[in-house]
Amino acid sequence: MTIILGIESTAHTFGVAIVGDYKPYILSDVRRVYTPREGGILPREVAPFFSKVASECIREALAKAGLTVRDIDAIAIALGPGMGPQLRVGASVARALSSYYSKPLVPVNHAVAHIEIARFLTSLKDPIVLYVAGGNTTVVSYSEGKYRVFGETLDMPLGNLLDTFAREVKIAPPYIVGGRHAIDNCAEGGDFIEGLPYIVKGQDSSFSGLLTAALRLYKSGYKLKDICFTLREIAYSSVVEVLERGLAHTGKKQILLTGGVAASDLLNEKIAVMASLHGAEFKPIPKAYTGDNGVMIALTGLVAYKWGITIEPSKAFIRQRWRIDQVDIPWYYDFPPVEV
Amino acid sequence: MSSIIAEDWLRIFSEWTSKLALVKRGAESEIRLGYFMGIPAIFKYRVRKPYMHPKLAQALVYMRTRREAKVIAYALSRGIQAPRLLAVFPSIGLIVMEYIEGVTLKDYTNIDQVKAVEYSRVAGRIIGMLHKAGVSHGDPTTSNFIVSKSGELKLIDYGLADFTEDVEDLAVDIHLYRRAVESTHAGIAYNMYEAFIGGYKSILGERAEKIIERAKEIRLRGRYVEERRTVWGALR
Repeated sequence: MTIILGIESTAHTFGVAIVGDYKPYILSDVRRVYTPREGGILPREVAPFFSKVASECIREALAKAGLTVRDIDAIAIALGPGMGPQLRVGASVARALSSYYSKPLVPVNHAVAHIEIARFLTSLKDPIVLYVAGGNTTVVSYSEGKYRVFGETLDMPLGNLLDTFAREVKIAPPYIVGGRHAIDNCAEGGDFIEGLPYIVKGQDSSFSGLLTAALRLYKSGYKLKDICFTLREIAYSSVVEVLERGLAHTGKKQILLTGGVAASDLLNEKIAVMASLHGAEFKPIPKAYTGDNGVMIALTGLVAYKWGITIEPSKAFIRQRWRIDQVDIPWYYDFPPVEV
Repeated sequence: MSSIIAEDWLRIFSEWTSKLALVKRGAESEIRLGYFMGIPAIFKYRVRKPYMHPKLAQALVYMRTRREAKVIAYALSRGIQAPRLLAVFPSIGLIVMEYIEGVTLKDYTNIDQVKAVEYSRVAGRIIGMLHKAGVSHGDPTTSNFIVSKSGELKLIDYGLADFTEDVEDLAVDIHLYRRAVESTHAGIAYNMYEAFIGGYKSILGERAEKIIERAKEIRLRGRYVEERRTVWGALR
């Protein structure tokens, strides 16, 4: 029996979760999400918020699981990629817990964790993955020990495109209303506008030109719902096309969608159509686990810990630009490592 | 009025071509074989993506068909061995081009290994000429080089080609060729790749170094790495 406490603090969510290698696996899942009153996510505002909620999150996670710190085998921490000030809060808390209670510290890559929780929830073991979030847009697939990047955004991530446009045209914050993005709500009943840039270069996509063009249409008086509809249509279609090329290229038979933007119904629909076209298997993950959370960090920490991956607290530095293809995944084919 | 006539004509034409023998159905296109004004011809139809809004899917078919035809025409004008264009219909995503009878370089390696290595040098020269003209091919595998009946090497399938001077785009071509030879011709991969690079440098000169260097970086990034047997050790 192994029990891990995981801490997530890479962007806007401070998450603490406890995961065990026995049913029901997820023992507790506590989250505090920072929502700006206006503008985007400013690290200098989020980090103090994280510091304030950190201890109550940990207390709550333990209480909900009915455990004390002594029952925990190791502390898992997302050391990156993410925003520095927020990462530092989570890392400080994790290092402190680890040193004070003499618990091993397990370093977890946030992007890897998004994939591992998707694999865990769907039981799709060897997929090609579209990881789309506020800070990431990549198509990755496992090959020879690591998750390899087959395609990615050349400029801004997809989530950032949606958030930035929503902010500029003043339909956000809040970015998420009723579980849907402001752009989705705005696109309701919209029509497609022709002529906006659609950019897929080989296996990469690019969104900055699309953002500029959409903002120009807004200023020249086009209907906002039509612009939102078109922006979303082009952005989603291009990542699905990159995913499609990756699927053909790798010959994989399974598809996963993960990350914050994975909550989008439309994106899930598009991928389902593409998957059936190629006879590939696709399973959406529950919306509760598309965005950042502590469970994915604890879960990935659990596997890594079982494979003996730990780090000295004094060496557990944050890594803002920790690329997914720098992480060894020795457990790939023995996943998930749960007791039956 | 005239546009209705044109659309009708295209509909009749595509109905007719749909009866032609289907050679290959890929994610991007459908290839059929037939005759166009008495000439053996390839009919390449671009596929509309069903997961896209119909207007977007149609716009992409139109733009990409036009771009592919433009690239082929430009490549031909620069003396590159490419299939001759016979007709282009962007609105239905159709390109009709000369059918090049012959053997793919991929299959040719089973016929004559020594000659295949020589053809690989020619392949390097063709890609060099293409890059010199400011065009990336996007998919230069050994399956897309054809040794024609007259013994000439020709480069086909410009579906992912683009006008670009970007070192990264050009380097991807080099990397893709390298990966193609190592994954399908392990025994002579080293010779094939060396010959290709030799041919490539003979056209691009000093400029080649930077592109080849970037191709190595792309490999190290782990990008485009496939789950296939590799002989990178041997090529290093």
